[in-house]
Amino acid sequence: MLNTLVRYFNLIVITLFILLLISFSLAYFFPGDPYTNLTGKMLLADTDGPLAAAFREGNVLQQFWYYVQNLTMGNWGHSFSSALPLYDQIFQTLPATLELTFYASTLSLVIGIPCGMLAGFLHHKKTDYTFMSMSMVMVSFPVFWLALLLILIFSLQLNLLPMSGRLSLLYDIPETSGFVLIDIINSSHPDRDAALYDAIQHLILPTIAVSFITTAVFLRTTRRAIVDVMATEYIKTAQTRGLPFYVIFSRHVLRNAMLSILPLLAIQISTLVTNVMIVETVFSWPGVGHWLIQAIYERDYPAIRIGMLLVSSIVVFFAMSLECISRLIDPSRDNKKYA
Amino acid sequence: MILLDIKNLTLEIESNGVLVKALDKASLILEEGEIRALVGESGSGKSLIVKAISGALPPQWIVTADRMTWRGQNLLTMTRAERRKIMRRDIAVVFQDPVAALDPSATLQEQLTESIPEEFVAGTWFWQKRRSRLDIAHSLLHKVGIKDTEYCMAHYAHELPVDICQKFMIAMALVSQPTVLIADDPTRGMETNTKRQILSLFKNLNKTRDLSILFVSHDLVAISSMADTMTVLYCGQTVEDGPFQSVRKKPFHPYTKALMDSAPSFSPDLQPKSALIALGGTIPTLQHLPIGCRLGPRCPRAQKKCVETPVSRKINQHTYRCHFPMHLDDKGIL
Ligand SMILES: Nc1ncnc2c1ncn2[C@@H]1O[C@H](COP(=O)(O)OP(=O)(O)O)[C@@H](O)[C@H]1O
Ligand code: SF4
Ligand SMILES: [Mg+2]
Repeated sequence: MLNTLVRYFNLIVITLFILLLISFSLAYFFPGDPYTNLTGKMLLADTDGPLAAAFREGNVLQQFWYYVQNLTMGNWGHSFSSALPLYDQIFQTLPATLELTFYASTLSLVIGIPCGMLAGFLHHKKTDYTFMSMSMVMVSFPVFWLALLLILIFSLQLNLLPMSGRLSLLYDIPETSGFVLIDIINSSHPDRDAALYDAIQHLILPTIAVSFITTAVFLRTTRRAIVDVMATEYIKTAQTRGLPFYVIFSRHVLRNAMLSILPLLAIQISTLVTNVMIVETVFSWPGVGHWLIQAIYERDYPAIRIGMLLVSSIVVFFAMSLECISRLIDPSRDNKKYA
Repeated sequence: MILLDIKNLTLEIESNGVLVKALDKASLILEEGEIRALVGESGSGKSLIVKAISGALPPQWIVTADRMTWRGQNLLTMTRAERRKIMRRDIAVVFQDPVAALDPSATLQEQLTESIPEEFVAGTWFWQKRRSRLDIAHSLLHKVGIKDTEYCMAHYAHELPVDICQKFMIAMALVSQPTVLIADDPTRGMETNTKRQILSLFKNLNKTRDLSILFVSHDLVAISSMADTMTVLYCGQTVEDGPFQSVRKKPFHPYTKALMDSAPSFSPDLQPKSALIALGGTIPTLQHLPIGCRLGPRCPRAQKKCVETPVSRKINQHTYRCHFPMHLDDKGIL
């Protein structure tokens, strides 16, 4: 138990350190002055702060050290294009991304896992084949193309749903938490219900676009796990003990299937985040992905650096935590090899 | 009364795109109150028979039989619910590999207590029931010779030694107080004392509770101490079947003879220093099954006729499947 925790903690720390190192070296790889690339400010003779001093001296180790120190203090540098502090910008855009990711992954879990179970139990039956071919088609869709297709059909042709943004400009909802639905519910806006309806309409297409592929992946993963568990000796044995199906399912199948699904879901997190970022761009969803792509267009090096660092850290953190949890709740972990 | 009646059980497995008969017309009868030994070397298909009876075969395997009944009810055509009911109360199975047969993610306590039929549980409230379940579990584990029952029940299968798991499987099979116990090599790898304890438990249950046992084993010494009848299986075919003493003293089938002779301590009139008489070669794999009598290539008595599958013949209680049986003259008379 403690062993596993320490192991994963080390793994996360080391990975984050490497990410920091890469983000720092980006400042040198980008064209221009490294100090400017790192902070978004010019290095003048009278710029104060230890980082500026380290750059004037040319001591790379010190530069890295003070860079990390600045990061931990929330001193993330300034954007080239807007000259605003990146810290504030990130925390304005991050909630939108988290919101979209949350809805999309919830939708995928709610649809993908039960359908996968159904397909697994009806292995080699018509339902199974239907689900499998459907999910095969679904995973083959490129995300950006699917997003455009959705816009084309539901926004432009049928005119049912809005094609971009998060909320119509008509509604002026004060941002408190940054999560649009929560903000609307908590606000005292006179047209609160209409705003909520509008926000949900804006959410539908991006959520579908993101969860389309994720659902298919979850479905396939779950189905495989169920089929594997159902074929094991111990399930066969439980059946020969004459236990009713619901007992076998809830006590033996579910737990073992989940134990093998969880680490696979952890791997999917990076795909999920990538898809969210692409979808944000297509739908002009004001999240980190959209913001980062804008930064790349504008060669806003400090923004690119911090965006890349943040997104990769989040992915690493969540993926490893999920894996660590699945390791911790797996009673047979002792006789499995560690990563 | 006949409990289990299996006639010409055939099991076809698809292997590399062709169907092979892993079991070819195997027959077996289990009478009420008897202990029947099912013997045969490794790979003969003993475990397959056990799995076929208990319904634990993969669904894509094809099971056919002239007869496969439990107290006259057809096991192959009955609904799943009916079969489950029989498996819950009447037939209990101990599978060959105890660790694989236990859920790796559930403690042994969970698995044992969930197998206790509701009828045995005393009390009305859930804590009373829980108490009662635990009492039943502890006393059962004691009975099969597990000393530290608390420790055993609190752990997962992979955390315990194999012989504890073996005993645990036996306890789990006995928990429903079944009519029939099917035990697939239950004493494999056990040390002598432990083995003796398990065997005497079986004999005891057979005497006091009228438990019928299908005892699958290689261990001829153990079998000779308890079996009433014996079925010999070779390569998916039942080659000989009959009362234990009769099969042992006068085996008709060359394979049975070789099997008996291969256990030196068991062979009744073995001369000192005589060579062990055993068959050359090994049991064929499913991909290379001989036609006709499957013992053919290894059989010292084989002749041309043996490429035809011998039909089963019966003398008194004693059945065999061989064209050229031993201990019989040409006309088939003892
Ligand atoms: N799951 C399986 N898939 C394919 N062949 C199998 C499988 N299980 C057993 N067999 C084959 O069936 C034959 C009988 O096996 P088994 O019943 O385990 O023998 P025994 O229990 O008598 O040692 C063997 O030849 C084995 O290779
Ligand atoms: S039928 Fe032929 S090959 Fe088979 S056991 Fe008898 S003598 Fe041997
Ligand atoms: Mg076996």
